[in-house]
Amino acid sequence: MKNKNLKTLFVPLLAAFTLSVTATSAVANDFPSKPINYIIPFNAGGESDLSARFQQSVFEKYAGVQTVIQYMPGAGGAVAWSQLNGMEGDGYTIMGINIPHSIMQPIVKDSGYTTDELTPLYYFHYTPNAIFVPANSQFKDLGQLIDYGKKNPGMVTFAGSGSNSANHIGQATFDKLTGITSTYVPFSGIGPAMTSLMGGQVAAGFAYATSGASAGDKLRMLAVSSEKRLSAFPDVPTFKELGIDLVGGAYRGVAVPKSTPEDVRQKLSDIVGEINKDPEFVKKMEDNGFVLTDISYKNMDAFIEANKAEYQGVAQLLGLIK
Amino acid sequence: MELVSYLIEALTPLNLLLALVGVIAGTIIGAMPGLSATMAVAVLVPFTYVMGPASGLIVLGAIYTGAIYGGAFAAILVNTPGTPSAIATTFDGYPLAKQGKGALAISLATLASVGGGLVGGLALLFLAPPLAEVALAFGPSEYFWMAVFGLTLISALSVGNTLKGLIGACIGLLLSAVGVAVVGGDVRFTFDQVSLLGGIDLTSAIIGLYCIPVIIDLVANKAPHLKFESIRGQSSLAEAFGLILKRKFNLLRSSVIGTVVGILPGAGGSIAGLVAYTEARRSSKESETFGKGAPEGIVATESANNATVGGGFIPTLVLGIPGTPPDAIILGALLVQGIKTGPSLFTDQGSIVYTFIYGLIIATLLMLPVGLILGKYAYKSISKTPKELLVPCVAFLTVIGSYAIHSNPHDTFVMFVLGIAAWFLAKLGFSASPIVLGLVLGKIAEQGFVQTYLIGSAQGRTLEMFFGRPISIGIIICCIIALLFPILAARKQQKPETIEEPSRKSSVLIFVLALIGVGILLFNDTKNMSILGAVFPSYIAGAMIFLSIVLFIKLAIKKDGFNQNAKLLPNKRQAGVSLVILLWTIFMAKLGFGIAATIAFISIMFISTFEKQKPIRIIFNIIISILIVLLFYFVMKEILLLRLPSGLLF
Repeated sequence: MKNKNLKTLFVPLLAAFTLSVTATSAVANDFPSKPINYIIPFNAGGESDLSARFQQSVFEKYAGVQTVIQYMPGAGGAVAWSQLNGMEGDGYTIMGINIPHSIMQPIVKDSGYTTDELTPLYYFHYTPNAIFVPANSQFKDLGQLIDYGKKNPGMVTFAGSGSNSANHIGQATFDKLTGITSTYVPFSGIGPAMTSLMGGQVAAGFAYATSGASAGDKLRMLAVSSEKRLSAFPDVPTFKELGIDLVGGAYRGVAVPKSTPEDVRQKLSDIVGEINKDPEFVKKMEDNGFVLTDISYKNMDAFIEANKAEYQGVAQLLGLIK
Repeated sequence: MELVSYLIEALTPLNLLLALVGVIAGTIIGAMPGLSATMAVAVLVPFTYVMGPASGLIVLGAIYTGAIYGGAFAAILVNTPGTPSAIATTFDGYPLAKQGKGALAISLATLASVGGGLVGGLALLFLAPPLAEVALAFGPSEYFWMAVFGLTLISALSVGNTLKGLIGACIGLLLSAVGVAVVGGDVRFTFDQVSLLGGIDLTSAIIGLYCIPVIIDLVANKAPHLKFESIRGQSSLAEAFGLILKRKFNLLRSSVIGTVVGILPGAGGSIAGLVAYTEARRSSKESETFGKGAPEGIVATESANNATVGGGFIPTLVLGIPGTPPDAIILGALLVQGIKTGPSLFTDQGSIVYTFIYGLIIATLLMLPVGLILGKYAYKSISKTPKELLVPCVAFLTVIGSYAIHSNPHDTFVMFVLGIAAWFLAKLGFSASPIVLGLVLGKIAEQGFVQTYLIGSAQGRTLEMFFGRPISIGIIICCIIALLFPILAARKQQKPETIEEPSRKSSVLIFVLALIGVGILLFNDTKNMSILGAVFPSYIAGAMIFLSIVLFIKLAIKKDGFNQNAKLLPNKRQAGVSLVILLWTIFMAKLGFGIAATIAFISIMFISTFEKQKPIRIIFNIIISILIVLLFYFVMKEILLLRLPSGLLF
């Protein structure tokens, strides 16, 4: 008798289990059908957060569902990225991802993940580095700053976001290309770095171009490390125009846990791609100094490999590896 | 007058309703340890996209200010700060509630919060552009000295026990160094644990250090948690109002401190509260009552932390640099709405900015009725809740709260470990507050110190950078006064307090020896770091070794004053509660958040039941437990949209 009871309980359970398994394989057709968690591996207010908020405001238009943004800061993104593959891979958990961070960190130290373990779907923008000085600074153009730096080794102090960050890499490369010796002063993010710059605590800032958008006329941008001039700052020359071969900054994208099915990955990549063409989104991004890029899921591997090779060299330059 | 028209705009029924709802929601969220203003604001931002910019900002600002205020409830009633801003509220709030004056404590906190919020709000309304310059005048050296000034509070917090206070601060400072260093990029004190790379989360640490000892001590015996005195004669509001009026200068000074600290990016409510508390204690005529339920202490912290709200918006709106984490999210919301911050914001888009500022001020005023009604209810229900439900509720909040910060079970585990450590440390005479102080101020002190050194040595004027800047000199003078003050005060009193050591001599001595060992271990660890990353932790570790040796000698030659009957180990119930929470933190990801919480909640309920109960009461309690867990589960998952581990079940 007891056995029979167990059986009656067991059969529907088994049925439910089979159903749920078949349901997951058919998931892509009705994906997405509930809000998507968008984890930002940094604190609120930074470039990653801001660009995700811009995406969020038009996300529903292209995905049919909303996103919920949450923050999981720590160790320049490593805390969140090292946990990404342990999260549910049903497409409802996506995470911000950055280059050079996600490439440099595993090169330099054990960060709990390797670059190849991560699954980026789309790199949708980048923020070029830029050199800023306060509006009342003695340096009117980059040439004056370089001259001063050559005559006074170490005296040019650059505020930037943290050690080994994209800003730090930019500053080290800049020193090498121009032959000057400057002092990099790391802060806990772009915000505090820009405050110290506006307050004249440091001579200059090596930060992202986006920081120039909200500072108004308090700061002067001397050069920007993009290929072409930015539409938000048409008067600021690129380093290339000034004869310094410095192009770079931070790329930002979206990644998913490794267990996410291929068709869901593709679908998410498509959604991010469509958002990147939304005129309202494009305008907000460009007004704030972001540069849109379209590195989609199918082009990802080549993009990552190229960056890995580049940053291996940068790590040597910074003395982070021998 | 344009300003008047903006005021009328802020007073539309919709905006008033949004402010009210925001304040109520914020106060409740702030009262729950771990559910922070940052989180509430972050989740709600998308809902404001469909509102007008001003209305959206009003609801976010109202939640923010409500949450900062709500943190006082848990601080006063359960001795655990609901938000880091309320750390210093526990110093006097809980002792006052213990004396049966919980209603007075809440009234004081409410009035002070409204007062402080108004000062911050008015500064934002009338003085924002010039005050934004304050943010710029503070450089690395000023931040360093401000953190040092905050640390001088230790001498006040641990009168007669300064040595142990200083060692506690060293422990906190060393904890703050865990993880990847901002300056230098070194990986420090992680013992090869990847989960420690991000450092120790301040909020989860605070929850552990304050809440876990409370829970363990609650089940020590069956004495009630709080006395509830029904109010006779004079109402607590009138009494609180009288107390504040008598010392209105304290309210004003603390509010100004809060506004200024709020303006400084990276500082925030916890530091504002601590600095204001230090100042209030120093300048009070009855400084010896601080820490034992002094109304002035509550007023200082609560006015200062709510003043940071208005203050924090000043650099956010004027410079585009957020003063506090919630400001950072609100700044993002502004940019999404297409509003450019910066000096021209106040002229170009005055209608939005001024409507928002008025809305914030109105929300602050609404805290008065909301706080008094909610506060009365909270005090009554917490003091009347039977222990067998109160203890699991507090435990549930600590686990949820530490988890919710980043939806990360690791933070819950850290919370638990630090909490157990804090309980043992308290038995040995080390209080949690200096540790928290070190943890809060450590990063600011270190970054300020190393940055000042970097800039100074690059330009060959290190000493001038540290000691030659006018604001720095001012803060240094404050530090000296604060340090000398307890000595002077003690001389005036002329009878040194004899403090009984809370534990047996041998156990304290063994612990101090262990501290010396840990100090040496950590000091050795710094040898593999870069100079920038090593300088701060190596000095702190050195200081801890030195102070521990001094303490060891002092205690070794001391003959009496030890409590020979002291028990260092927990009793059965205390150990049981600790074990349940430990298993809870370990298994919640595997079992599923909901089911683990239900099992743990009911287990703790049985552990904290002291009298034999009728079956009907037990069944009733179990049903209540399940309902509480389900309610929170629903709120967390469906309203706050947190990622909860579903594990095997739910």
